[in-house]
Amino acid sequence: MTSKVALRVTVNGSKYEREVPSRQLLADFLREDLGLTGTQLGCEQGVCGSCTVMLDGDSVRSCLLLAAQVDGAEIVTVEGLAQEDGALHPIQRAFWEHHGLQCGFCTPGMMITALDLIAKLPLAEGSPELDQKIREGIAGNLCRCTGYQNIVAAVRAAAAKMSGQAEAEAGSTDSRESAP
Amino acid sequence: MSYMGQARPGLHNRRLVAGRGRFTADVERPNACWMALARTPHASARILEIDTSEAEAVPGVVKILLGEELARETRPLTASYNPERGGGKRLSFHALSVDHVHFVGQPVAAVVATDRHAAHLACERIVVDYEQEPVVTDAVEALEPDAPVVIPEWEDNLVYRTEYNQGDVAAGLAEASGTVSGSFKTQRYLSSPIEPRSYLADFDPYEEMLTVWSSTQMPHPARGTLSRCLGLPETSIRVVQGDVGGGFGTKSPGSSEEILVAYLSHQLQRPVRWVEERQEYFLSCGHARETLFEFDAGFTDDGRLLALDIRVTGDVGSPTGLAWVQSYVTAYCLPCAYKVPNCRVRLHSVATNKCGWAGYRGFGKETATQAMDRILDRVADATGIDRLEVRLRNFIPPDEFPYSQVSGAMLDSGDYPTAMRRLAEMVDRDAFRAEQEAARQEGRHLGLGFAFELTPEGCSMPHNPVLQGYDGATVRVGPSGRVTVLTGVTSPGSGNETGIAQIVADALGVRFDDVRVIQGDTDTCPYGLGNFSSRSLMIGGSAALEAANELRDKLFRVAGNALEVAEEDLVSEDGEIRVKGSPDRSIPIRKVASMIYTNAFGREALEVEPGLESTRYFRVGNVYHQPETQGRFSAYPTWPYMACAAVVEVDPTTGLVKVVRYYGVHDCGTVINPMLVEGNLHGGIAQGLGGALYEDLVYDENGQLLTTTFMDYTLPTAVEMPAEVITEHQVTPTEATPLGTKGAGESGIAGPISAIASAIEDAFPDLDLELMEMPLQPERVWQAIQAAQNQGAEDPGAQGAARPGASAR
Ligand code: FES
Ligand code: FES
Repeated sequence: MTSKVALRVTVNGSKYEREVPSRQLLADFLREDLGLTGTQLGCEQGVCGSCTVMLDGDSVRSCLLLAAQVDGAEIVTVEGLAQEDGALHPIQRAFWEHHGLQCGFCTPGMMITALDLIAKLPLAEGSPELDQKIREGIAGNLCRCTGYQNIVAAVRAAAAKMSGQAEAEAGSTDSRESAP
Repeated sequence: MSYMGQARPGLHNRRLVAGRGRFTADVERPNACWMALARTPHASARILEIDTSEAEAVPGVVKILLGEELARETRPLTASYNPERGGGKRLSFHALSVDHVHFVGQPVAAVVATDRHAAHLACERIVVDYEQEPVVTDAVEALEPDAPVVIPEWEDNLVYRTEYNQGDVAAGLAEASGTVSGSFKTQRYLSSPIEPRSYLADFDPYEEMLTVWSSTQMPHPARGTLSRCLGLPETSIRVVQGDVGGGFGTKSPGSSEEILVAYLSHQLQRPVRWVEERQEYFLSCGHARETLFEFDAGFTDDGRLLALDIRVTGDVGSPTGLAWVQSYVTAYCLPCAYKVPNCRVRLHSVATNKCGWAGYRGFGKETATQAMDRILDRVADATGIDRLEVRLRNFIPPDEFPYSQVSGAMLDSGDYPTAMRRLAEMVDRDAFRAEQEAARQEGRHLGLGFAFELTPEGCSMPHNPVLQGYDGATVRVGPSGRVTVLTGVTSPGSGNETGIAQIVADALGVRFDDVRVIQGDTDTCPYGLGNFSSRSLMIGGSAALEAANELRDKLFRVAGNALEVAEEDLVSEDGEIRVKGSPDRSIPIRKVASMIYTNAFGREALEVEPGLESTRYFRVGNVYHQPETQGRFSAYPTWPYMACAAVVEVDPTTGLVKVVRYYGVHDCGTVINPMLVEGNLHGGIAQGLGGALYEDLVYDENGQLLTTTFMDYTLPTAVEMPAEVITEHQVTPTEATPLGTKGAGESGIAGPISAIASAIEDAFPDLDLELMEMPLQPERVWQAIQAAQNQGAEDPGAQGAARPGASAR
């Protein structure tokens, strides 16, 4: 029979202590055990990126990790981006306003990847390489609907917004709007 | 204020970015079992015996279903347009094969277990004894007299053949001052929505109700298919469409897995679910496109086509894939946007031991367009006439619409030359030639190519339960004046619900935010055919418009009584009904609604029927199904088009092609929401670019599929897309719909194939490069360049000399 492992993990700010099957995927743990079905599975082969979640500040593919591997970690999924009152995170708002999605299936993974990118590759607004850097940064996430042009626009807009906010909110304790 | 014409993001997108999508795989049912399928590893084999004893011993297994039981208890799946109707083979199959398999991945057994892992483990333990049989994987070989036959009961592999004629093609070719002959081949590829297919069925024996949550584009036709196959009345089946993570034609009714899940839930009286794995998708969901065109074209000195003889061979794979009809559509559309006085089109749809076809955006029209583009480039090269100019000389002139094409297809409207000329302005060829020359000095190869796609939409076929050119909508104004729209059309992410809300808001004169659109539930929505052939806004939107107009008349009648003016003197806007010319005399729509609902016997509302709800069905214009009066039937009401250009850079040392810019001048008639139309174009162009350069389903000679992951079947990522996709609209409204809307959902996908091929050729003006086989992966491009260089070296006269036409381009 499948062996079980103890797991302590923080997901979207809530702490969980669970027993999970040793071979359970992180994606299945999030979707099935925690009911966080915003994270999608497009291939389970590690290629499409739709299962991307944030693990201790790095974007990772939750179809390539076992739940047991994230013991002690902090995870953010798409459900953890908006504020508690439902106000959208700037990345969500930008995808919505710039029509950076059509079916919305790739979108949760795409937004998490974009947040990782924005946090790690700060590029000045108006920099000629900005779009190319964005394109390279999201090249691990497949979207079949949009042709990416509006996704790039959304990420560019979110990056500008978030860097503006980060400056405005420097010293503020609430860092949620600037990075998860 | 008019909402129509405004750019607005999709109505559901706020929920989707919040991670609150409700895709079918997200739906939970208590005690749901999982289904997994045992699929054959052979491309052609007889099933001798199936041993399930070890599989049954796997803990958690609830049932193992074999083909015999299914064949006994259910009716087979059939193609909605059965080739039998046109003198071809009868397509009728069960979801599990009983005694013979025809392609790798075909299901032979279904396992239901309490969890997914147990279901998969049990599948692995099913032992099938096969006797392998000879395999045929090439359509041309499959037509040879001694070829192995894909379906044992058949005499040959010819699924369907037809021929269209106009004028005298032999005489036209003989008369022509020049001819070109050759072939063009598109590869096999597929739609690849990122959401895998998913079905969840739950039968309630006490209500006698089977509820099926489905990642389908067409809930009502899906219900019809389930009803027919399972022998349950339609009233005992409810199909609920989840959010659909991309459809592109593939998520159509008639999928084996949908029937299996429904049958098993009904039989076991408990919920059963199946979520497709990506490998299963590649192996068995359904492929498309693989088509060979062989042509002889005759033309005048000034590049006008006098005659075209074109033979189309569609490799439709295993005929268990029911969308073979895409090859029919290819032949039906030829010669597309061009006027060819003498034309013969011959179609052969051929079965092979590969996966069958499923619908894919373009639905066969794209391949027809691509073939015509490549043929016109050959004519341009042979005559020395500019490639763009050759198209202008052969277009159907704008004053000849409606125009009856060779097949009887009636092209509704358009102005192709204006679109093409506008494209030429956008591209600025003089500037490009300078850029090309400058790049050339640095040893870089830039090229510019053109295409002209014609994408007929709103398909309606005679005697077809799915492809019908009508749809229904209900518009309901509640007692508070808020509006609910229920449609028979659905959205797999294309956003038509948003466009429909814009149409209804304008028709009623209410605020956009006061309109809610509900789609995709057979228990709540009016009967309709769902989403395919870009019909949802054009046909579903027209039905909603008519229903809304009916309610507006009723509201005006009551408002007229209240304001004591004639109805004709009223206008509505922003939730108010106003007297024309007297802006101070008005009444809010919510008040009028309230009069109707809460004071049915009052002076204002007494003369109208209580309630504010209208259901209307809209039948689109310009469809003719009476061959006895029309000669031939016409299936497509509207014919949107796009003039396209691609700028590419080619590295001759590797054959790698990068698309630098892409341009389009698009016409889908009246545009309701430019943001959604442009989004659709971007997506279509990306899929076309994938088909031009990367995507290829490769089978070996034993019928084994070699490309079963996104690692080896590569979709374009953000990096492969050009930095600039520039589109513009031209509006030629159609008379087939009340607002002049044509379809827009499939536009964009055809152009890249031919524009990119054309551009690569253009990047090497000194070489006689003809790219007539797709896709243009680096190896193929590199080999073509090598071959052309060697040819040039062998023939020193040609070396360096521009081939005919090259200088004129
Ligand atoms: S589902 Fe994880 S990468 Fe595709
Ligand atoms: S929006 Fe559909 S896959 Fe990206």
